[in-house]
Amino acid sequence: MNQPARALSPVPSPANARSAMERIATELGRAVQGKPTQLQLVVTSLVAGGHVLLEDVPGVGKTTLAEALAKACGLSFARIQFTADLMPSDVLGAQVFHAQTATFQFRPGPLFRQLVLADELNRAPPRTQSALLEAMAQGQVSLDGATHALPGPFSVVATQNPVDFSGTYPLPDSQLDRFMVRMSLGHPTPEVEAGLLVTRDGTPPLDAVATVSGPEELASLRAYAAALRLDASVADYVVRLATATRSHGDLDRGASTRAVLALGAAARANALWEARDFVTPGDVRAVLVPCWSHRVLLRSAVQGVSARDEAAHLLEEIARKVPAPR
Amino acid sequence: MRKGTRLRLVLRDLGSGFAFASMAVSGQLPVWSLALYGLALVLALMGKRPFAHRVKLTALLLLAVAVTLGTNVLAGSLNLVVAACAFAGLISAQRVLSTPDAATDGQVHLSGLLMVAGGAALSGELIYGLFLILFGVMASIALALGVVEAAVPEGEPVPVRSVMGPLARGVTFAVLGAVAFFIFFPRLNWNMIGPTASPGLGVATAGFSNSVRLGGSGTIKDNPRIVLRATLSPDPERDSLNAYWVGRTYDVFDGQEWSNARQASGPFEFMTTLRPGRDNLVHQRMELMPAYGARTLVALETPSRLGNAFINTQRGSRRTHISEQGGGEVRFRDTGISYTYEAYSLPPGSTGDEVRDLPPEEQDALLAIPDGLDVRVAQTAARVLNGEREPLAAAQKLSAWLQREYKYTLELGGDVADPVADFLFQRKEGHCEHFATALTLMLRTQGMRARLATGFFGGERVTGGYVIRAGDAHAWTHVFVPGQGFVTVDATPPSHRASQSSRVLEQLVSLYEAVESQWRNAVLEYNFRDQMDAVRTVFPRQRHKAKGDEAPSRTPPPRAWGAALLAAVAAYALWRTLSRYLARERPLEATRFADAVESMLASARVARADGETLEALDARLGKEGHPLASALAPVTRRYLEARFGGRPLRQGEAQQLLSTLRNAVAMEAQRLAREGTRPPRARAS
Repeated sequence: MNQPARALSPVPSPANARSAMERIATELGRAVQGKPTQLQLVVTSLVAGGHVLLEDVPGVGKTTLAEALAKACGLSFARIQFTADLMPSDVLGAQVFHAQTATFQFRPGPLFRQLVLADELNRAPPRTQSALLEAMAQGQVSLDGATHALPGPFSVVATQNPVDFSGTYPLPDSQLDRFMVRMSLGHPTPEVEAGLLVTRDGTPPLDAVATVSGPEELASLRAYAAALRLDASVADYVVRLATATRSHGDLDRGASTRAVLALGAAARANALWEARDFVTPGDVRAVLVPCWSHRVLLRSAVQGVSARDEAAHLLEEIARKVPAPR
Repeated sequence: MRKGTRLRLVLRDLGSGFAFASMAVSGQLPVWSLALYGLALVLALMGKRPFAHRVKLTALLLLAVAVTLGTNVLAGSLNLVVAACAFAGLISAQRVLSTPDAATDGQVHLSGLLMVAGGAALSGELIYGLFLILFGVMASIALALGVVEAAVPEGEPVPVRSVMGPLARGVTFAVLGAVAFFIFFPRLNWNMIGPTASPGLGVATAGFSNSVRLGGSGTIKDNPRIVLRATLSPDPERDSLNAYWVGRTYDVFDGQEWSNARQASGPFEFMTTLRPGRDNLVHQRMELMPAYGARTLVALETPSRLGNAFINTQRGSRRTHISEQGGGEVRFRDTGISYTYEAYSLPPGSTGDEVRDLPPEEQDALLAIPDGLDVRVAQTAARVLNGEREPLAAAQKLSAWLQREYKYTLELGGDVADPVADFLFQRKEGHCEHFATALTLMLRTQGMRARLATGFFGGERVTGGYVIRAGDAHAWTHVFVPGQGFVTVDATPPSHRASQSSRVLEQLVSLYEAVESQWRNAVLEYNFRDQMDAVRTVFPRQRHKAKGDEAPSRTPPPRAWGAALLAAVAAYALWRTLSRYLARERPLEATRFADAVESMLASARVARADGETLEALDARLGKEGHPLASALAPVTRRYLEARFGGRPLRQGEAQQLLSTLRNAVAMEAQRLAREGTRPPRARAS
C-alpha cells in the first residue's frame, strides 16, 4: 500500500503546493476520520514551519494523528511520553563515554527526529519542558558546549489534557507562545464513531496511510510558503488585530510580536489551500483563533477548556470589530 | 432608462413642481399659467416628454407666452413681478418636457431657483416656507443622484439604495444648517418687492370699499379666517356677543350700488372723535389680523372715539395716523400687515345723532330713492306697514315681514338690471346686503330716513376676548328715529347673520392661524433686534445684586462656561470628522470593483452579514451551495488578486467580469420566476 514519495515538481506553483497539501490531508483523513478542518490546520501549521499543541482528553486520536502525519509526509518519527521523572537528557540525548577511544561521544536522544510527538507535555518537570521548548525554538540542541542541529524539517506535535491538571506542571505562557497553533480534535461525530466500530477489523489505522510526500518536498513547501506575497494592507490588518488584543479590556496581555509573525506565517500557508500566491484578509481570519487563542492572557481566572473557549470568543469579537482591508 | 435615472428625473420634476407651488400659493398667478404648468408636470411625472427634440417649435410657444404676458403688463392688467414669475414657471414647464440631458437638468434647477425667488417676492406665507424646503430637498437629492450617476459607467446599475442613506443625512444637515443660518446670520428684511402679500388660505378680505354692489356670489360667509380680535372693557363675559361691529355706512343707492353723498377726507390725527361720548362708553382694544385686508377701523356699534393706532409692517411696529372718511369710516393712513388700535363705543341703543347735525347733502340722501325703482317696492311697503308712521315700529314691522317671507341664500344669479326688485319679486331669496337694501329702500319710500351699514355681526369668546371671522361680514340698516338718532334694525333672518362655516373647519383654521402667527413672528418679522434678543436669552447680562457691599463677580456665569465647552466639543468633533475625511484612503480600483460586485449581489437579494467581506461572502455561498456561487467565485478571485496579489485589473476587465456576473444574476432571477419561488434568502450568520 505504501507508495514511493512523489517529489514536488521542479517549478513550485500554488497549484502544485495545494495538491501536495491536499494529498497529505487526504492520507491523514484515512487515519483520523471526520475532522477535515483540524487536519487542514495541522498541515497548514506543518507547512508554515510551526509546532502544534493538541489539547484533548485521552483517546480521541492525538497520537494516531501525529503518527499518520509522520508517515504521510515520510518523516522520521519519535514519540516521547512525558512523565514526572523524565530528565532533559532523556529527550535531548547525552554524552556517552566511549571506552575504546576513551572519548565522550554524543548519543542523540529521541528528539533527533523530523517529527516528534511530545505526549502529555505538561506532566514533565519544567526543566525537561524548557529543554524541549528551547530545541523547538532554535531547531538545535546545545549540550556541554557543543551544538547539535536537529534534522530538518523539524516539527513537534505536543499534547496535553485540558481537564486533568493533577500532578502536572502547566506550561508557562512564554513557552505556550512557541506553538504556532493550539487546537483540539474533539470527539468524532456519532456516525464516524459507529463507522469505526464496524470497519475497524483489527488492522491498525496507520496501515491505511500512504507516504505521499517527503522531507525534501516539505522543506521546499515551507520555503515557498514563507515567500508568499503579503500585501501592506494585510500586514496592517494583522498589526491592527494585535493592537486590538493589547488594548482589550478583558485581556491582561495581548498578542506578542512573535504572535504577529506566527499569524503571518500561518496565513501564508493557509493561502496555499486556495492555490493563491498571496495572502488575503480571509487567510488571516481563518487561522486567527487557533494561532492566537493560547497567546493571549485572560483577565478572568478561568482555566482549561472554558478559558480556551473564552479566548476564542474574544478573538472572534475582535475580528468582527477590526475592519478588514477591502 | 436606468432605475436611478428615472428616480432622479421624478425628483427633479417634483422639485420644480414645489418651486412653482411656492409661487402659486400667493394666489396671484394667472389661472391659465397654473393650468399649463400643472399639465406639463403631470406629463413629465408620467415620463412623457413631448417637447423632446422640438426645441425650436416649443421656444416659439414660449415666445408667444412672453408676448402675451408683456402685453398684459403694458396694458396694466398684470403686475410685472407676477408676469415674470408666471414666465419662469412656463420656462420650467417647457424644460421638464424636453430631452432629459445634463443641460436640461441644470436649466430645470435654475428655473426652480427663479421660481422660489419669485415666490418670495409674491408671498411670504407659511406654505411658501414649506414648499421652499421641499424644493430644496428634492432638487438637492436629484442633483446628488446626477453626480452619482455620472460616476457609474454606462450600463451598470446606479447604487441608489446605498447612496440614499448618506444623502438623506446630508440633506437633513443642510436643512438644519439653513435654519441655523437663518436664525444667526445678520439679515435685511425680505419680501420688500412685489405686490403686498396676501394670506395663504385664499383671499379673505372684509371688502370695505367706497361702494357696495349687489350681485356676485357670497363666498365670504363661509370663510372662517379670523380677521379681528377684540378685548372689551367692561367685559360682557358672554360666550356669544352677537353684536354689530360697524365699519362704515352708505347713504346713496343708484339702483345697483351703494355709495356716499360726501366723499370727504378728514385730517390725519392720532385720535378721531365721531360723536361726543358719554360717561358709560365701552372700551375696545382691537387687533386687525393679516386676513382682514382693508384699512378701515371697525368698532362696536355705535363708535364714539377711535385712535391710538399702531401699524405692524415688515419693518416693525409704529404709531400711525388715522382719518375720517365719508360714511363715518375711519381709515389708517398706511397699509400694513396688521393693526392695533383702541375704540370707545356708545352702549347699545341709539346714536343720539340729529339730522340737522349732518351735512345737507347727506340729509337729502337719507330719503333719496333711485330713479326707476320698481313701483311695486313702495306699494308693497305701504301694504305691509298698513298705516304705521312711527319709524322704529315701521322698520321692525318691515324687517319681520322680510325675515318671514324671504329666504336666505349665498347662491346668487349675478348682475340683474334691478337687484332690489329681482330680490323682492322674482328670486325671493338673497343675502344680507339684499335684505338690508330692501329694508332701507322700503323705509325711504314711506318717507322715513334710513341708511345701509356694513361691518361684522357676531363675536366668539376666546380667552379673555372675542374674535370675528371673515365669514361674519354683514350688512344691516340704520333707521333714523327723531330724538333718538340712528337705530339698528336687521332684516336678515337671525340664523344667517354670523359666520356660516363648519365647526371642524373653524378649528382647523384656528390651528393654522396659530402656526401662521408663529411663522409671522419667528420668520417673517424676525429681524436683527430679535437676533440680539435671542443672543441675550442665551447669554443674559449679569444682574448686579442690589446690595452694594457685594462686588460684582469677575468670572463669567456658569452658562457661559457651558456654552464655551459645548462650542469646543462641537469644534473638536468637526475637526475630527474633517481630518478623518481628508485622511481617508482613496478607494482603489479593485475596491471599487468589489463595491460594484457587492451592490449587484445586494440587488439580487443575496443576504450579507454585517461587515462580511466579499471574500467571506464568496466562501459562505460556496459552502451553502448557493446558485450564484459558481459565477461569483472567479469574480471574487480576480478581485483578491487585484487587491492583495499585485495583479491589477486590466483595462475593461472589470466591466467584462461584472457583465458575466450580471448575466448569471439575471438567469438566476429567470429561473426563480419560472419556479415561482422567492429567491433563497441566504442565511446571514
